[in-house]
Amino acid sequence: MADGQEHAHPNYWGVWAGLAVLTAFELGVAFLPWSKQAIVLILIGLAVWKALLVALYFMHLRWEGNRMRIFAIAPLPLAVIIVIAVITEFRW
Amino acid sequence: MATTALPLEHATHAEAHELSFIQKYIFSTDHKIIGIQFLLMSMLFLVVGGLLALMIRWQLGFPETAIPGGALLPETMAPDGFLLPEFYNSLVTMHGTFMVFFAIMPLLVGVFGNFLIPLKIGAPDMAFPRLNMASFWVAVPAGIMMLAGFFVEGGHSGAGWTVYAPLSADPEWTGVSYGQQLWLLSIAVLGLSSILGATNYITTVVNLRAPGMTWFRLPLSIWALFITAILVLLAIPILSGAAIMLFFDQTIGTHFFDAATGGQPLLWQHLFWYFGHPEVYILILPAMGMVSDVIANGSRKPIFGYHSMVYAIIAIGFLGWIVWGHHMFQSGMNPTLGMTFMISTMLIAVPSAIKVFNWMGTMWRGNIRFHVPMLHAVAFVAMFVIGGLSGVFMASTPVDIYIHDTYFIVAHIHYVLFGGSLFAIFAAVTFWYPKMFGRMMNPTMGKVHFWLTFLFYNLTFFPMHNLGVAGHMRRIYDPSQYEFLQPLAGINQFITVNALLLFASQLIFAVNFVVSWFRGKRATENPWEDNGLEWTVPSPPPHGNFAEVPTVYRGPYEFSSPDVSEDYLPQTTRLATDRTPAAGSEGGSA
Amino acid sequence: MAHPVMMDPPRQREVGADVYNEKLGMWIFLGSEVMFFTALIGSYIILRVGYPQAFGEPGQILNVPVTASNTFLLICSSVTMVKAFAAIQDGDQRGLRLYLLATVVIGAAFVGVQAYEYTALIHEGFIPSGYIEGRHFAELAAQGELPANVGIYGSTFYTMTGFHGFHVSMGVICMIFVTWKAFKGKYTAADHRGVEVIGLYWHFVDLVWIILFTIVYLI
Repeated sequence: MADGQEHAHPNYWGVWAGLAVLTAFELGVAFLPWSKQAIVLILIGLAVWKALLVALYFMHLRWEGNRMRIFAIAPLPLAVIIVIAVITEFRW
Repeated sequence: MATTALPLEHATHAEAHELSFIQKYIFSTDHKIIGIQFLLMSMLFLVVGGLLALMIRWQLGFPETAIPGGALLPETMAPDGFLLPEFYNSLVTMHGTFMVFFAIMPLLVGVFGNFLIPLKIGAPDMAFPRLNMASFWVAVPAGIMMLAGFFVEGGHSGAGWTVYAPLSADPEWTGVSYGQQLWLLSIAVLGLSSILGATNYITTVVNLRAPGMTWFRLPLSIWALFITAILVLLAIPILSGAAIMLFFDQTIGTHFFDAATGGQPLLWQHLFWYFGHPEVYILILPAMGMVSDVIANGSRKPIFGYHSMVYAIIAIGFLGWIVWGHHMFQSGMNPTLGMTFMISTMLIAVPSAIKVFNWMGTMWRGNIRFHVPMLHAVAFVAMFVIGGLSGVFMASTPVDIYIHDTYFIVAHIHYVLFGGSLFAIFAAVTFWYPKMFGRMMNPTMGKVHFWLTFLFYNLTFFPMHNLGVAGHMRRIYDPSQYEFLQPLAGINQFITVNALLLFASQLIFAVNFVVSWFRGKRATENPWEDNGLEWTVPSPPPHGNFAEVPTVYRGPYEFSSPDVSEDYLPQTTRLATDRTPAAGSEGGSA
Repeated sequence: MAHPVMMDPPRQREVGADVYNEKLGMWIFLGSEVMFFTALIGSYIILRVGYPQAFGEPGQILNVPVTASNTFLLICSSVTMVKAFAAIQDGDQRGLRLYLLATVVIGAAFVGVQAYEYTALIHEGFIPSGYIEGRHFAELAAQGELPANVGIYGSTFYTMTGFHGFHVSMGVICMIFVTWKAFKGKYTAADHRGVEVIGLYWHFVDLVWIILFTIVYLI
């Protein structure tokens, strides 16, 4: 069947609101007087959350079959590997 | 008995309207024509790469003698026929560049990916025929740009095919600016061509398989091309990104690889080899896949261990991502990281070894036909073993400390790329030539070409192992400047003489190729008595390939089956005992 | 013979990815784009970890408020894109056209704001190779208010955001083409593959920006 699972339209405006709120949070956190590590961790977490919202709802991965999801996820470990590996040149 | 005929999905293009010559042969969207276009382009660059190699060999073998034809070379390259050191550096760089990017890779992926995939899976064409055409025509300007680099001010890149920064980033060191920039632009453009092609191949193999062509009934050539396409898709963009960064360092003053301002030369090496190692598997996997098809055919036996062959291809594809640091053992990188690469590199020898044993198991007690493709395929196995074994030496970091950047590495490269990939290409071209052109290549010329190539190739490249262990470094213009290398001059001469004879022997193949196109014996549908779907259609196949959607009943290696009197059993032949898969079925494994 | 409707996976074939070719192809292509941006963004992360003193604090050199608004714009364009897709799923031609038009306009606005951002930065003296001698940022650096040497900051910033902007621009051009086709009535509830496929590309570009904005402007 064409669209993975059949489903009613997701609440796209709801997702939009979520993205806007998360962005506002990020702006707030970025300028808080906390340790750099904490800020970085929280910001990356928020960014990943936003990215997941876009991927799952706007790009419909939430309703696609596993086969499609594999294509979407496959490059990610490769992205992580190169960055982590080269960072070990500077931080061990 | 008759295959269940399913109606064709769309009218064949030629029936719908007459195509002009330009539409049919120049801007064709037919995968078979595009495959042949890649073939002609790649063979041209193979010759270019070979000529560059001969010039390198002349310098190493007979540095006191002016190079034959040297009068043709301009003053900036070889005044009075004696190569300048800068030009020598660009020779080694461009020999590698042309061979890797414009000869072997397009020969394996562009030619056979295009030609074989739709035919062997039972599809009328690729998923995106116009994108396929774009893929070829984007590659052409890339090739032109790469050639142009020889003729610009400062000459071509001389930083090695790996163009390490900072040598390649700053014209101050080499005087090369435009040449390096053209190199980078060319590679970026070629990268786009490859990525579009990979997208096409993957979509096609996933979605366009004929009914009954389950994953585990795919020929190994298709499995290999599929995994290779995934490697191309994910590795080439890394190179594109890195090349762009280096291009910016050269042109707009960025500092990615410039240590003085916080950039990292080692970043270039990591990025390059993160691409570069999957790249070498891109250069060998399709060869392995096609060799499997040829060996099964030549042995008249099923492939030994088909499933393990598939898993080995997948394992090589996976592991190939985590070994890149073995190219960098001597770079000054984090030694602990280096150790992880030593382990992973040793591991990756295992699936390759499994494949070698399976090829031997296939041939064991087979009713072997030593046709020309089989000769090349068997040579592939033997030569790849040698190349693989030298690789095991290099995988061990302590050993590599000694042999890195010596001719031992050059020997390894050429055993896997020439002894491996190129022999497989000779096998594949000869094997599928009848399907491409409707004629057979001359078998006598084929055998003479094979034996001369095999002889001169080994005499050329085996001594390089000895040179390397003796300490002879790579990319060196004048070995005689080092006293310890002077006794090796005789070996260098020996290699050069054999390289010249090797190149000359390829004329036989070239003549065979061209003459057979016009005067070769007309090919039947299935001259090799093979099982693949491509052998069930005319030679060459019509536009759209199959008159009706084929139905597949078995795997591709049912040779010497007890079910039939012939020693082969095509995938689409329906026996009384076969069930028809439901249209659009999931289909279990064979 | 009429071409069959292709929103369903191809018939008379083995079951593949269970989606039509164009959608599968776009996801696969996006995989390559992930790797491309990994090279650029990964290099930024690596270089920053290795030499953090070359990089400014949030807001020191880059304009966070303007870019935050731009981020919000791009998110809006993602919503309009997916609303366009939802519209044509229901056969709503008018909704499709309006939302596509909105996406084009907002997408173009994003590129415009980014171009403005670049001109402002260059005016202040921040370019891919670092500072411009004698301009505002260089002077602040001389006074110790800004990092002394921002060579790799400029290099990574302009390359990452530049290529992202290039991808957005390509997306806008394709989006114009799709919008034009929509106005000609080429998409239906039964077959709107082009809308879904450009949508996937557009959301991906938005997704990359979400990552970029956070790690380049806010960290």
